[in-house]
Amino acid sequence: MEDRMTGKSLDIPARPYTGEKSRLSRAYDYLILVLALFLFIGSFHLHVALTVGDWDFWQDWKDRQWWPLITPLMMITFPAAVQAVLWPNFRLPLGATLCISCLLIGTWITRFFAYHMWNFFPINEVLPATMLPSALVLDAILMLSNSLTVTSIFGGMAFALLFYPTNWPIFGMFHVPVEYGGAQLTVADLFGFQYIRAGTPEYLRIIERGTLRTYGQYATPLSAFCSALLCTLMYPLWWYLGKAFATTKYVKNI
Amino acid sequence: MSVTTEVAGRSRAEVEKVVDLRGMWIGLAVLNGFYLIVRIYEQIYGWRAGLDSFAPEFQTYWMSILWTEIPLELISGIGLAGWLWKTRVRDMSTVTPRQEMKAIADNAAWLVVYAAAIYWGASFFTEQDGTWHMTVIRDTDFTPSHIIEFYMSYPIYSIMAIGCFFHAKTRIPYFSKGYSIAYLIVSIGPFMIIPNVGLNEWGHTFWFMEELFVAPLHWGFVFFGWMALGVFGVVIQLLLNIHRVIGKEGVELLTGA
Repeated sequence: MEDRMTGKSLDIPARPYTGEKSRLSRAYDYLILVLALFLFIGSFHLHVALTVGDWDFWQDWKDRQWWPLITPLMMITFPAAVQAVLWPNFRLPLGATLCISCLLIGTWITRFFAYHMWNFFPINEVLPATMLPSALVLDAILMLSNSLTVTSIFGGMAFALLFYPTNWPIFGMFHVPVEYGGAQLTVADLFGFQYIRAGTPEYLRIIERGTLRTYGQYATPLSAFCSALLCTLMYPLWWYLGKAFATTKYVKNI
Repeated sequence: MSVTTEVAGRSRAEVEKVVDLRGMWIGLAVLNGFYLIVRIYEQIYGWRAGLDSFAPEFQTYWMSILWTEIPLELISGIGLAGWLWKTRVRDMSTVTPRQEMKAIADNAAWLVVYAAAIYWGASFFTEQDGTWHMTVIRDTDFTPSHIIEFYMSYPIYSIMAIGCFFHAKTRIPYFSKGYSIAYLIVSIGPFMIIPNVGLNEWGHTFWFMEELFVAPLHWGFVFFGWMALGVFGVVIQLLLNIHRVIGKEGVELLTGA
């Protein structure tokens, strides 16, 4: 062991073991990776579609008040659970990124092949939001700090606070105002009006409508910080939920 | 030491391969091929015959699928579990480390196909239903999308989960006595989505809601969807067994520790 710490050990070429057991363990690596890929696309996507679905589906739901509040809050769940397994057990610092990548693969396939190719909604109306930058930061904070507390507070906050800025380059262009029938709309609103949805009347949208208690110009940062606080709580909750699912316990009878 | 292990391993490898993924590839090909056909079918007959459930062509092209798939799935599920049980290893004390290793690899392959089935059911066909809800004002519980999502893709992955569970229970010594809680969660959790479909259809039928996809009525699916995470515990149990079977020497060879 001491020898490895000296400079000389670097000169010794690495000769990894290539026997049968090595091939075997490689095979498990691939099997488990593919398993994880499909499984997280499936279960995480189900979770997201039924908790933030409508905001994520439609351009005209992506507002300043609810979308940046709900999306990080519901999307930090599975990443925290997966991190709780991959980091302490295997020191793999990619739990959140793996989860979010899986989610994006799943949503993109469905948006394209179902929303667009089957029911002909234009792809620009049904673009999914991205949490990829947030997930990368979350993974990096866990890897560097190796601390649940630090990751909960700073990782959870970063996860939520980065959401709106990193999505702005994708969705900003749909906020351009247009005059339509004498009224002012955004391009996103126009999408909602033009491409008829049988079950989503305009009033169903859960989006910012303004209140007399709101100082109008701060909606987005306020939602982002509210979400940040909630994410710091959601993160440890789902960390321990992930731990619980990783149980190796047995029962005698069912 | 490593040389002798390699030589011994190689000569035995000719006798019986530990990692044999033919079954997995066949499973994946059949599953993906089948769903591809389903997707093409709904592209054609969703629009041609699936818009009005009171029309006779709806019976021909959609209800016929429903009436066929349900008994077929029931028989397949029971048949699969029965076959796995019938062909079980009767005396686990006769299982050699090599056979045990193969059984663990086979189970991982089963889980891959299970996960692919989860992908189609929980991801593709579930969110696909979100767009069909925006295409028709539905006039039946059994829309084309529901016939595929609830009554085809969900039962298929439930059957796969049952298969994974029974395969482990009947082939791997570690799982043969008692019940792994994680494996129970993996196999029973998704199954609970099927009764939840009943609740969902009932709620939609008697309290027509505007089509909010994130409606509380759908949260049962979310809860049962979490159960797929039980695969954490299952994979860790598989890895613990690999670690044990591969032995101290094997671990040293692999990690260089």
